[in-house]
Formats: sequence, C-alpha cells, structure tokens
Amino acid sequence: MLPRAEIAHWLFAAGFLFFGLVVLAEAIVGPAVFRQRRWRAYLWPSLALAAGFWLWFIAIFSTFSTLHLVAHSVWAQAATAAGAVQLAVIRGRLHSSYWSLVTAGALFVSGASFLVHEQNGWLFARSAFLHHLIGWTLVISSLFPLGAAFLPRRAIWAYGFAIAWIAVAVMLFADRDIAPIFGHLSDLAGGGSR
Amino acid sequence: MTRALLGTVLAALLVPASAAAHATLKEAHPGEQSRIEAPPTEITLRYDQSVTATADSIIVLGADGRRLSGRVSQAAGGTVVRAPVHGLERGEAYTVRWHEISADGHVTNGVFTFGVGVDAPSPTEAVGSSGQTWRDDVSRWVLFVALALVIGVVGIRLLILPRPVDPRVERRIHLLGTFGAVVAVNAGIIGFIIRCANALQVSGVDLLYSDLSPFAESTRFGIAFLLTTLGYGACMTILAIAWALDLPSLRWPAFLLAIALAWGYSLSSHQATEPNSSLLGEVADWVHLVTAMLWAGGVITLAVVVWPLAPDMRRAAFLRFSRVAIALVGVLVVAGTVVAIERLPELDDLWTTSYGKILLVKIGLVLVALSWGGMHHMIVRPRLERGDRVHGVRWSLLAESSVAIVVLLAAAILVNGAPPPVETPAANATPAAASP
Repeated sequence: MLPRAEIAHWLFAAGFLFFGLVVLAEAIVGPAVFRQRRWRAYLWPSLALAAGFWLWFIAIFSTFSTLHLVAHSVWAQAATAAGAVQLAVIRGRLHSSYWSLVTAGALFVSGASFLVHEQNGWLFARSAFLHHLIGWTLVISSLFPLGAAFLPRRAIWAYGFAIAWIAVAVMLFADRDIAPIFGHLSDLAGGGSR
Repeated sequence: MTRALLGTVLAALLVPASAAAHATLKEAHPGEQSRIEAPPTEITLRYDQSVTATADSIIVLGADGRRLSGRVSQAAGGTVVRAPVHGLERGEAYTVRWHEISADGHVTNGVFTFGVGVDAPSPTEAVGSSGQTWRDDVSRWVLFVALALVIGVVGIRLLILPRPVDPRVERRIHLLGTFGAVVAVNAGIIGFIIRCANALQVSGVDLLYSDLSPFAESTRFGIAFLLTTLGYGACMTILAIAWALDLPSLRWPAFLLAIALAWGYSLSSHQATEPNSSLLGEVADWVHLVTAMLWAGGVITLAVVVWPLAPDMRRAAFLRFSRVAIALVGVLVVAGTVVAIERLPELDDLWTTSYGKILLVKIGLVLVALSWGGMHHMIVRPRLERGDRVHGVRWSLLAESSVAIVVLLAAAILVNGAPPPVETPAANATPAAASP
C-alpha cells in the first residue's frame, strides 16, 4: 500500500527541512565550530546519499507513470552524486572548491526535472504551481554552489543554499495535488476538483 | 531528546513513498492480467481521483483485433469509468486499452489483458503490440557493456590486481566501475520503457504519462527490472561511497551484488519463458553472462587501466589474468553450449532459423576474440615471462576489447530474440501463459 502523494511530499519535506536547518546551522556558526564534533560534518553527505538510495525505492514504485519513474531516478542520481562528492570533500579526498559545481549541477538537473515533469501552466492547480515554484527554486538555488565554486570564502552561498532547501520544504508541506491556486482552477481539471 | 528527534526525522526521510500528481488506475474489473470464468458485460476502471473520459476512453479488443466495447460512461463523481462489452466468449483472451484526462490535465494511458476461461497473456502480447525492435537490442547491448565495467573491471581489480596499486589505477577503476553502474541502471530503465512502449503503442509526450505498472508487476522482465534497478542503484551508491571514503574493500559487496543481479537478466530473457527452459539452462545462462563480463572486463582493464597507467604492473597483471582467462573461457564455452543445446535442440536449427544464424555469427565473433586471446597467451605471455619488452600490446588489447564489445551486441540481439518454438505437451496446454 503506497501513501498518498501529500504524505510522500510531507515526508520528504521533513527531510529537506532538517537538511536545510543543518546547513543553515553550519552557515551561522561557521564550519570550524560546526565541525568540532566530527560526525556533524557527515550529516549533509549522509542525508544526500540516504535520500538518493531511498529515491530508488520510490522510482520502482512509480511505474504508474513513465515520467514519475524517470524523474525519481534522475533525483536519485543527482542526490547520490552530490552526496558522494561532498563526502569526498569532507574526507579530504577532494580539495578544489570547483567540486561544488557537482552540487550546482545536481540542483540544476533536479529543478529542470521538476519543470519538465509539469506540463501545465503555473495557475492550473496548486500542484502545478508548486511544481513550477520548486523547479525554479532549485534551478536558481544552483547559483549558490556555483558561487561557492568561484568565491568560496563568501558566506552568502551557504546561507542561500540552506534557505533554498527550507523554502523547498515549506512548498512541499503546502502541496496538495488537486486544490485550486488563488481560487483558480482550469476547466480541464476533473470534476471532483471543481 | 536530540537523538530521538534526529532518529525520527531520519526515519521519516527513509520511509519509501510515492508521489503522484495525476490520476492513477487503482482498480479494474476484470482485473489486470486476470483470468475470469464468465464473460463480463462491462469493463469498469476506478481511478484515485476524478477524471475526464471521452467516448473512446476504454477500447476492448478481441484476439482478431475486433473492437468489442461500446460508449463510455462515468460514475462516482468521475472516479469510475465504464464501457459495455459484447461478443466476448469463453476460451478467449482480450486486450483493454484505456486513456483519460486526469484532474491536473495530464492524459494518462495504459493497456492490460484478461482471459475468459484461459490465462491472460502478458501485456507485451496485447493486441496491437509490436515486437521487439533494434531499440531493444541497442539498450540491451549498452546494458551488457555497462555490466562488463561493473562486474568485469571491478571484479578484476578485486581478484587479479595486487594491492595496494598506484592511486591513478585505483581512481580509474573507481571511475569505470561507478560509470558502469550508472549506465547499467539507466540502460535498464530505458530498456524497460522501450519494451513497454512496444505494447502501449504510444510515443512522445503520451508515453511520459503511460501506466507501466502492469508490465512491472506481472511480467518476468518487469519484476527483474524492479530488482535490478534497485540493486544497481545500491551498487552505484556503494561504489560512490567506496570512492569517497577511499575504501577499496567496500567494492566487494557491490561486486557480489552485481553478480547476483545478473541472474535477473537471465530470468527476464525471452528464452527463459520457453516451454523447454529449465533451471539448468537458467543457471548456465547466468554463469555464461558473468564469465563473459569478467573476461571482457579483464581485457578492458588491461587495455585502458593497467597498460597506460602502471607500466611496472603490466607483467604481473597480464600473467595473472592470462591464467584466470583460461578458466573463464572454459566455463564460458561449456555454459554457452548448454544454453545453445537447450534453445536449439536440432542441429539444423543453426542454419535454418534466424535465431540460429545470429548464434552462428556470435560464435564466429567469439572465435575471433578467443583466437586473439590465444595469440596473447601463446606469443605475448612467454615474452613477458622472460622479461622481454613487448611492443603494441595495448593496441592489441584494445582491439580484443572491441571484438568483445561486438560479441556483446550479438549476445544482446540473441537475448531479445525468440528461439524456434519447441513442441511440448505443456506448451500445447497453456498457449497464452508465457510472459517474457
């Protein structure tokens, strides 16, 4: 038995909120203080890798739609790539700030998947509105790790990255698939939604 | 308290779930791939939310392609769609093709079959489905090449190469193995979608909103797809962690998992559903696949990792692989012979059937590859043992790798092809029960 879409969104929203708060905490106190306890440094890559692995479960349970199968597998791979690179950075295996470009790429690809995944306009329904909003938020937030790659000393990138994930979490918490948005719903939407 | 909160949040994140934005088919009567005893008078589809149906939202087809369904009506607030059917008879199987507009505007579609007094055929055999095409062959070929990287390259690193090795060698092994896992999982997904599209008979945007669940849940290749996708996703994650933490021994579970998952491809091949298939044949097919991947991966490793990056390791690696390759080729040939005898019980099938002809081409290519390997064994190995300097070995290994990759193409075409039918009592009793 699979949970309803809203439940799944809320579960991932909880995870993203936790992730965003972890990154925000690190941005506020600084990496030196945050990583005084070594395990804290591993939170970010561990959460990304765990999300990536469990997204495969969701992918194989998403065969009710080709697009959902493909989108979830793209998110799984993006999360795994970002998590693995960050883990290597934490372990000291990678040193260049340019490795942050992998996270930027993962965010961009994830956001693009959200946008491709939604074929309706912004105001068609709340789910359409949120898909557009989340997609563009992820695409735009890819600028933060991009900035960190070229200007790694500026804290704004870490703040922006953290706040973007908290914003995505709020959007997912607000998600409800067939509800109207701003009182508007397309005539094409099913009768039960009108 | 902090740990409890952390645990709760992590548990919430780790619970697998599904996110659906458009309507999905929750229930059908008759059920998908079901066998019923009396002909139904209507087809009923129930969705998880209201949908907009058209007059042709449900089309029921007989085995001869005749349309047997009437005008569609809706009930239960638009969540139930019904179509009357007429002329259905006991002893026949039928195809249902459906499409509707869900609440979010997406046009979703799907296909399933049911049987009246007989088992329902696989959805891949639904009326109107096309057979496998060159796209299926290419996706299977890419998958095999990827497996040669995951199983072969990683396996040769673990079994043949000494430890520790040059960091550059280790990095390239990590890169090839992880790349292989990524390609394997994506080639598997693409191959699955292509095979479903052959039956759904949709393309482009319509295919994006197709219901693939009947294929995933009621066919052998669908179940194998689910397991291998999850498994190679896990392989990918493990290999990525092994690279990030610089823990080469962590590749063992990924390697063993990849070998076990190769069984899924044997189970999902067309031949595994033939009436004369046996457990011995399936085991032989799996052993054939794994040994082929280890052999191909070994040659690739020597050509693109050891020779260019570790000159001081060339001699030891070549000699060790040379010894192992003899055993691999021996097992490969024996297992392949067992599989071939099962699929082509008559010798003249080799030149009278298209399957047999492709097999002959594959055997010819394998002989070329084996001759190449034999040349390495007979000419290069003795010189390396004497400590002589041998030129051109890398290019020769690259050429042997290329032949091996072409052999994998022939293997992909064979796996997707149907061997000549074998007359057995079981085959006559249940003609529509097979589901590849």
